[in-house]
Amino acid sequence: MKLAKLFRRNPLIFCGSTLIILIILAALFSPWLAPHDPWQYQQAFLEPSREHWLGTNDVGQDIFSELLAAGRVSLGVGFVAALVAAATGAVVGIVAGFRRGVLDEVLMGATDTVLVIPVLPLVVLISAYLGPNLINVCLLIGLVMWPSIARIIRSRVLSLRQSGYVESARALGAGDRWIMLHHILPNAMPVLLAKFVLTMAGAMLIEASVSFLGLGDPGAKSWGMMLYYAFSRGGFIREMWWWYLPPGLAIALVIFALNLVNLGFEEKSDPRLKRVLEG
Amino acid sequence: MEKHVHPQAVVAVKTGRYLLVLLLIITFNFIIPRLMPGDPLLNIIGEEAYYGAGGALENLREDLGLDRPLIRQYFDYLGGVFTGDWGYSYLYMQPVLAAVAGHLGWSLILILPAIVLAALAGAFTGSLAAWRRKTRTDTFLTGSLLLAYSMPHYWLAMIMLFIFAFLLGWFPLGRAVSGGLEGFACFSDVMWHMVLPLGVLTLSKAAYDHLIVRSSVVSIIGEDYILTAQSRGVSAAVVLFKHGLRNALAPLVTVTAIQFGMLFSGAVMVEVVFSWPGMGTLIYEAIAARDYPLLQYAFFIITVCVLAANLLADLAYRWLDPRLR
Repeated sequence: MKLAKLFRRNPLIFCGSTLIILIILAALFSPWLAPHDPWQYQQAFLEPSREHWLGTNDVGQDIFSELLAAGRVSLGVGFVAALVAAATGAVVGIVAGFRRGVLDEVLMGATDTVLVIPVLPLVVLISAYLGPNLINVCLLIGLVMWPSIARIIRSRVLSLRQSGYVESARALGAGDRWIMLHHILPNAMPVLLAKFVLTMAGAMLIEASVSFLGLGDPGAKSWGMMLYYAFSRGGFIREMWWWYLPPGLAIALVIFALNLVNLGFEEKSDPRLKRVLEG
Repeated sequence: MEKHVHPQAVVAVKTGRYLLVLLLIITFNFIIPRLMPGDPLLNIIGEEAYYGAGGALENLREDLGLDRPLIRQYFDYLGGVFTGDWGYSYLYMQPVLAAVAGHLGWSLILILPAIVLAALAGAFTGSLAAWRRKTRTDTFLTGSLLLAYSMPHYWLAMIMLFIFAFLLGWFPLGRAVSGGLEGFACFSDVMWHMVLPLGVLTLSKAAYDHLIVRSSVVSIIGEDYILTAQSRGVSAAVVLFKHGLRNALAPLVTVTAIQFGMLFSGAVMVEVVFSWPGMGTLIYEAIAARDYPLLQYAFFIITVCVLAANLLADLAYRWLDPRLR
């Protein structure tokens, strides 16, 4: 069986992606899976029961339904932010590494400059000015997380541009843009994917932190927002663990899964690790 | 081909870049409130001050020089940053500099010990896991630390607080001091308050250090000098801790510097849960009150700390890597 073979060859990637796909499916199909409307007001502060599996929150919304619906927001923010970061990082990294020269110096100077700025305080500051807005948060996180991707892509491109097939493409008269799109990008893809996975985990953690500080969009509740409400509206003081444990566990599981996938990629792509771990 | 650069030149270039970042942040802090929608005065002094000022608003606008040309305002601002004139926080009823300085110390008291403790713990578990790679010990250690690393800091803090303060009552519910104590009693009181927040921060950081040490020790296990040492009859533990850790040290220092911003952010979140009177609580309260000057300088001072950590790591790296000495 193919699946079993895949599992044996790389259990980390297999376990991680299975876990993440299950959670994505639960979030995606939340309107059909959720027993209640997550926004509907009912009796507040109910304990878990057959009717409300995880009880209700301070305004009487069913916490289990909320948990499923919030997954869409949390995963969505992480995915979009990581997409923005990966796209920016890939463009900067490929152009800098391939063109070299002054352009490389300028782009990498900018990359290293942004790289040292602490991400969370920056996002918090700008979000405080802009007010709670889901799209802003996505873009903001994406636009501050690209530098480390650009760095790693550039170093990959530096070795790729020396390779034989790039030389032959150039000898055949291919232009820079053609080579970057058709030869460099596809070969840098595994590195980009591994970084994407890691960035998505980081973006989700930042979103959860920004929301916990009270800067989340009240119209689009995420797992971080659920934790914010549980903490600031008495769920924590009242020891309502069924309110604040599940959202945190959901975040932890997604990030754990993403880290497993990344670790699998790392072991696969690092020949030194591969030799020791498999030999 | 890589150019050969003198190590001292590298440090000089990096220092130059850090100064540039500093200027960039200051400029950013100047532009942002003037660029954002709404009255710049509101964006500069914060909501509480703006709506509390009443008829005095126009005087305030004049006092702050908002009617002057932008370039003049910029240099006034720049001068203010370096002379410590950071504006006034209406939330804390004191100058911003005093408010930020009072909170920064409390954050560093958590962060610095966490770095050391986590490095020790991570070095031990990381090399143990690398030595016993692909066994149950490795799977258990690496798996559970990866899970701990995946948890939001503040959520882990809530769980710890629930178990050790609510349920067991071993530690206080929050804050840093009980008050009314002096001398050694005060010191041990702070230590007692510190255990849980420091523990959470150390656990998260140690989890990351573990992964770094493990992969760097695993990558050298097949090297010739390790085999030579083993064939000479040197015990596994000595080989592991002498050669393995020696190699893991440089990446550990670099990663700690690169991750310093993230560690600081983690401390910020942990502080909020424990009401620890550091930068986190300051930021949390400043957000709720929309006290923008406080938020700006909180961002500024955290960036300064991150830059300092990076500079320190650049110097330490040269000292740790014999090839650069």
